[in-house]
Amino acid sequence: MTDSHRHLTEEQRHALADGSLPADQLVSAETHRRECVACADDVARIEILMTRTRDASPAAPARALDELWPSIRMRIEASKVVPFSPNAIRLESRRRARRVGSAIMMAAALVVAAVALGVRASWRRPTPFSNAADTTSLITVADSAHAYETEAQTLLNQLELRRSMLRPETVVAIDHDLHIVDSAIAELKEAIAHDPNNPALRRLLAASYRQKVDLLKRVGNAG
Amino acid sequence: MATDDVGAVDDVVRRAQHGDVDAFEALYRAHSPAIYALCRRMVRTDGEALDLVQDIFVRAWERLTTFRGQSSLATWLHRLGVNVVLEHLRSTNRDAQRLIEGNDNTFGSRSPDAQIDARIDLDAALVQLPGGARTVFVLHDIEGYSHDEIAQMIGIASGTARAQLWRARRALMRLLDL
Repeated sequence: MTDSHRHLTEEQRHALADGSLPADQLVSAETHRRECVACADDVARIEILMTRTRDASPAAPARALDELWPSIRMRIEASKVVPFSPNAIRLESRRRARRVGSAIMMAAALVVAAVALGVRASWRRPTPFSNAADTTSLITVADSAHAYETEAQTLLNQLELRRSMLRPETVVAIDHDLHIVDSAIAELKEAIAHDPNNPALRRLLAASYRQKVDLLKRVGNAG
Repeated sequence: MATDDVGAVDDVVRRAQHGDVDAFEALYRAHSPAIYALCRRMVRTDGEALDLVQDIFVRAWERLTTFRGQSSLATWLHRLGVNVVLEHLRSTNRDAQRLIEGNDNTFGSRSPDAQIDARIDLDAALVQLPGGARTVFVLHDIEGYSHDEIAQMIGIASGTARAQLWRARRALMRLLDL
């Protein structure tokens, strides 16, 4: 802008607020801002938005991030076992292979973990403080597993409705993957029945339900 | 793990680069909240954000050996995260067109209830934005990328990125009663 009596353009208002206005426009823009209440107010409102944006940060859901790790670990372990060649297969099939591989690894690792944790839990001598903490943890993790289980059931119902429209080989692959995850869930439920106060087992159960939900969502998205 | 302890972080990163999953877990614990925050702002739901966090850390594991330490691990992870999120948005039919063209017929046609709800806070307001405007706003005003960088990452003209940003800011100002 060369005329300080003309209102600032939309571009100048935003650039003034975020400090990106070129130096050759800055003086006349600042002069106009001092003289024009409307432009000054508007730039100030943009600045308030920017300040508010910088100050705000979404609260990280610690529990959900905690529960995410076992799934990530399984996928990592799977990628160690089955190296994929980037040029060998298309992205989609690579992705699917990775998911199936992770489900298989998850099933195996969950069983191993369940046994190991069950043994470790029997060694532990909890203090009154850790009892209270564990109780809270057990409740929240159980709630989380229940929420995933409910979501998984809803997605399963949707899948049943669509099943007849899917190709037979797709149905076989889905059923195979679901069977693996369901086997892991069944093993964990059995382990929890023997050690109901073990929060680690319940976290693994929640993670495996989440894995099932992920799988069903991908099936839904693919359709 | 203390993220400001450079020596400790370097050691943990090095161990993770050599295949130590426990070390990588420490990196996940330290950096996942920030990565989640990035994802949560760029997509509409918590579940979608968590799926992306998972994908980002799996990708980080696969590519960790390419991290040479020229930038901090947080910066490297952040850039990787942005790429994964943008790939996801491109591959999602719902957002792909909006991301590329910046068109969204639903923009400005929200129900009164939705507008009232969105005034609750910035995150709720961000969810109300169309994909393209939200992506540019988050990348520019929150993550600090330049218009040219954003244009390159998304595959749009720099001028389009600017227009999207102004559009997003105006919408947020309305939603937040500024």
